[in-house]
Amino acid sequence: MKKSKLFILLILFPFHIFANDIEINVIIENCKSCHGQNYEGNNYIKSLKPLEKEEFISKMIKYVNSNNDHVMSRISKVLNKKDILKMADEIYEKIE
Amino acid sequence: MKKLNNYRRNFLKNSSYFISSLLFSSIFKINTSYSKSKLKPRIIIVGYGIGGATCISYLLKFSKNFDIIVIEKNERIQTCPMSNLVIADIIPYSYISHDFDYMRLKNIKFLNSSVKTIYTSKKIIETEDSSKIYYDYLILSPGINFKNDIDGYNHKDRTIIPHCWNGTKDLFKFKKRLNDLEKKSTIIISAPDYPYRCPPAPYERASLLANFLKRKKKKFKILILDSKDSFTKKEIFLNEWRNYHKESIEWIPKSKGGKVTYFNKKENYVKTSNGSKFKADFINIIPNQKAADILTRSKLNGNKDWCDVNPMTFELKNFRNIFVVGDSIDAGDMPKSAFSANSQAKILATNLVNRIYEKDILSPVFLNTCYSFSSSKRAFSITSWYKLNKKKTRIVSLGSSTTKVDALSHQYYDETRQAYGWYENLVKTLYG
Repeated sequence: MKKSKLFILLILFPFHIFANDIEINVIIENCKSCHGQNYEGNNYIKSLKPLEKEEFISKMIKYVNSNNDHVMSRISKVLNKKDILKMADEIYEKIE
Repeated sequence: MKKLNNYRRNFLKNSSYFISSLLFSSIFKINTSYSKSKLKPRIIIVGYGIGGATCISYLLKFSKNFDIIVIEKNERIQTCPMSNLVIADIIPYSYISHDFDYMRLKNIKFLNSSVKTIYTSKKIIETEDSSKIYYDYLILSPGINFKNDIDGYNHKDRTIIPHCWNGTKDLFKFKKRLNDLEKKSTIIISAPDYPYRCPPAPYERASLLANFLKRKKKKFKILILDSKDSFTKKEIFLNEWRNYHKESIEWIPKSKGGKVTYFNKKENYVKTSNGSKFKADFINIIPNQKAADILTRSKLNGNKDWCDVNPMTFELKNFRNIFVVGDSIDAGDMPKSAFSANSQAKILATNLVNRIYEKDILSPVFLNTCYSFSSSKRAFSITSWYKLNKKKTRIVSLGSSTTKVDALSHQYYDETRQAYGWYENLVKTLYG
């Protein structure tokens, strides 16, 4: 994904206050319940490993802005731009 | 670190007794005692279900620094999540039954026993085989217990249809009784009052029993007699029943006489709060629930149905260094579910390590996502994040959201895949 497109998506992103007093790792530990300890996924849930960091950010932003009924859209609604960027940093630093 | 160094210094003085007692207990299975270990802090975890196993998976990387002992009464773990699918013959029993991966847990000691009593003042637990074990930190993840508050009903009665709400092999007995039903039958499911384990599960069970009997080409009527006037995902369940089991499933809320107050096992009928009598071929009473027996026996829940814990640490109020996780606690807005127990246990284990190492306690955030099936191809969910209130005394919901009632078929199908995906990653992480 082009960086300019990602920048526009980030500007359009809504503001929430979910994680201002929470360490991002505490949020991420909850993601692992479905995505696996190393984000490896399984037959039903896609692995995060093949995704580039920017693709991950873009997908997460789409989930938040989407009105569709996907469980990821509903779960990610509480996240803000800052949360997603921090999550991406954390996940892609540790992904094996 | 000071504490850990002290433990190390004193190790040699105590190790010979400790190692010999371990050898004897594991090889010869005789009664023994585990004295205080001065090498490392000892953490005992009671219960290897979702809450306990999650704690262990988070404590594993510290297993060389801590002396970790797990006490589990079962030799295999049978999960409650997905068990309604086993009842309905959609998945095999082996899918929900899990061995212990001893290789992965090689630095952890396992005792196949149950806890008789906890002596809080001495920091000792006594197991059923009378072993006495000292703990520095005690984590209890013991599941739940059941109330006998319906006249004529006893949840321990082996001759009635089992409730199948506690992860035991009674499930086979339940399935046999279901298979034995005649071509035309009436089924009663008595749904408990809040709070109870897995709030949507009585309605999922009704849906899946209907699905199963339909596949078997049997005629049936399922009556859900409810102790409540509403339930989670109600609109979706009602819609599923309207669309797929028209007139086969009827829900009778408390306000319309749904609360079961009397059970007659000889003549197979129940009476409800307004005096109505319902006769059936198959009566599945899901009893009201309370904290696990060990908590009551050891007087840890202060005569309440559920335990009060500090939601930052899951430490019991009034009992230092005893932690409870999962279905036995009052978790504020969080429902009693496997996902909740998993989320809570991550915080418990992380903040316990922080306490031992004298680091800052993390402010928690929790997630719950609960899937229900209405057939092999249709599932739906409710999800919510949770934080603590400003005083940090209670877990509060940030607002839940459910699958839309008018979601398309492929979306309902997609949720079955999400449900299997969540479950398989969960049990892979916990049980290998």
